[in-house]
Amino acid sequence: MLAPLSGPYAAGGTSFVQAATLAVEQANAEGGVFGQRVTIVVGDTQGRVDVAKAEALRLISREKVSALVGAYLSEETVGVMEVAAAQKTVLLVPVAATAEITDLVRREYARYRCVFRVGYSLAQWAEMIAAFLADQKVRRYAFVGAGIRWNLELGETLERIVAPRGATPVYTAFYSPGNPAFDTVAVAAAAAAPDMVVLADPGRNSVSFLKRLREAAPALPVLSIGGALGDARLAASIPLSAPVYVQAAAWRGASPAATAYVERYEQRYGAPPVGYSDTLPYDAVTVLVAAWRKAGSAATADVVPVLERGTFSGAAGAYRFDAAHQAHWGTGPGTLHGTFVRWERGGARIVFPPR
Amino acid sequence: MASPLLQALLDGLFAGGTYALMAAGMALILGVVKVINLSHGAFFTLGAYVAYALAAHGIGSPIAAVPLAAVIAFAFGVFLGKSFVNPVRGHPFALPVGTLAVALLFEQAAQMVWGPHPLSIEAGAPWVGPGGLVLRRWGVVALLSSAAMLGGLKWVLSARPGLPLRLIAEDEEIAGSLGMDVEAIRFLTFGGACAMAAAAGALLSPSGAVTPTMGRAPLLLSLVVVIVAGMDSVGAIFLLSIGLGILGSACAWFLSPQWSYVALLAAVCLLLSARPAGIVALAGRRD
Repeated sequence: MLAPLSGPYAAGGTSFVQAATLAVEQANAEGGVFGQRVTIVVGDTQGRVDVAKAEALRLISREKVSALVGAYLSEETVGVMEVAAAQKTVLLVPVAATAEITDLVRREYARYRCVFRVGYSLAQWAEMIAAFLADQKVRRYAFVGAGIRWNLELGETLERIVAPRGATPVYTAFYSPGNPAFDTVAVAAAAAAPDMVVLADPGRNSVSFLKRLREAAPALPVLSIGGALGDARLAASIPLSAPVYVQAAAWRGASPAATAYVERYEQRYGAPPVGYSDTLPYDAVTVLVAAWRKAGSAATADVVPVLERGTFSGAAGAYRFDAAHQAHWGTGPGTLHGTFVRWERGGARIVFPPR
Repeated sequence: MASPLLQALLDGLFAGGTYALMAAGMALILGVVKVINLSHGAFFTLGAYVAYALAAHGIGSPIAAVPLAAVIAFAFGVFLGKSFVNPVRGHPFALPVGTLAVALLFEQAAQMVWGPHPLSIEAGAPWVGPGGLVLRRWGVVALLSSAAMLGGLKWVLSARPGLPLRLIAEDEEIAGSLGMDVEAIRFLTFGGACAMAAAAGALLSPSGAVTPTMGRAPLLLSLVVVIVAGMDSVGAIFLLSIGLGILGSACAWFLSPQWSYVALLAAVCLLLSARPAGIVALAGRRD
């Protein structure tokens, strides 16, 4: 497992490891793999590409791991892909969304065939967000977030996807994660008078920004994607003068599998998962273990064909991979579709897709 | 809604207040103890966690957390000052490294106790001023508190009770020869500055997320402010903080939010190249 356990994304990284640990415990409770217990070894990427690559190499060469799950940021993951490809080790990507990952698999299949993305690609993510915005009758939106790679790409992709549907971004801004100019961005976003603000920030800054935005525009709805705002512990203190929506891979009540996962997680860690940076790593490990069992081996040459052809159950639904090794997320039938919830004082309510 | 530009500049004023609030304690440490304390941000974080802990027990006002945070931080600060800062003060490279290690230890401890996840305290509704201007509640608190804290510091340093601090800042040997317990005054000052940082952290805790690393950004900016303004002038510290806050907002508005930090640091570099000893360095001062 490669995750940032220190640095600005430590919260997300810790959720990563907790959820993966839960999946490993679940696998071991079911008898393990080939009669052996599954063990998880963690490398702290610190949110840095060079560290992520070094840790990937350490896990493969010194710890002798059978597969890698991670990393967190797109930048890190692209770096780790190189290591996994060179070492011919299976890499399951839980959350990194950049198009480069699956583009590389498509273009250079022989080299990157061991890489599979469990989480949604940027195009799939944008498609799900666009469907939600259409459902909420949003015509003008502001896209705001941390100035990191996947945000920049997601903002552009979303703009392309919603344009034919008559929706437009009226304000786009990215702040520096290290010292964000929240106040100015919040004021400018409010002044643009959007129907909704799409907040793309996976870290702690999403909380601070929401507070600033609420001060500038108390009645402006916000959709948080991939952020800390899915944390129920925060919900009691975030301002709810207007709707706060959160997009998650899975949520309690979305399906029996999702509910079972949330309950296990809550029982194990004392708080429910945020639905993104925990759910997708959980499913990545679950898919990996299922592939090992089906293949009867943990060898890359045996596991890759199984992952390419099989269907695997996770908390978010049934995973199948396309030719670029991308799991099928989206809005069509047979796809994993994620969940949009709205925070209310008593908890979160699923609002999309309609059940 | 008021003019967005006016609102952005007003928010810059409040942001400057937060820099000044942190810089007050930093100036005291740099001026009297003459060390760069890289654990200052950790005490800011400590104050925020104290406010969160009280809020979790139903005491929601961060103002109520200020005395408790200040007392805890003072005790820690005195211990740190006496056991570590004073003994290694003569080694210029050891202290920044040591205080940085303390900050990292604290961050790790906070992560173990409260977890890495962001926590939050309800901020309350902002006040609406003339012309629909939004007065961010904790921005106003920061501005007024920083003015009060720096004003108090200026008064202490210029009045009779501040004479030992002034004398030690000017010449420790003379202060010692006059019978002053220089070591004790140093670690008590260190503790007092830590208490100021914790008070700032408690006061500002509702404005954002409470996390183990939340003290890093204010640490850097407060250090920059004190070095550029010169630790001798409390007024210059306040004005420079406000100036940098407004400059950051103006750059975020006119250029890009990602440029605001770059602009702040560029302005600081220009100021330092023009006045390496600080804007208001005292002529002929002995260090």
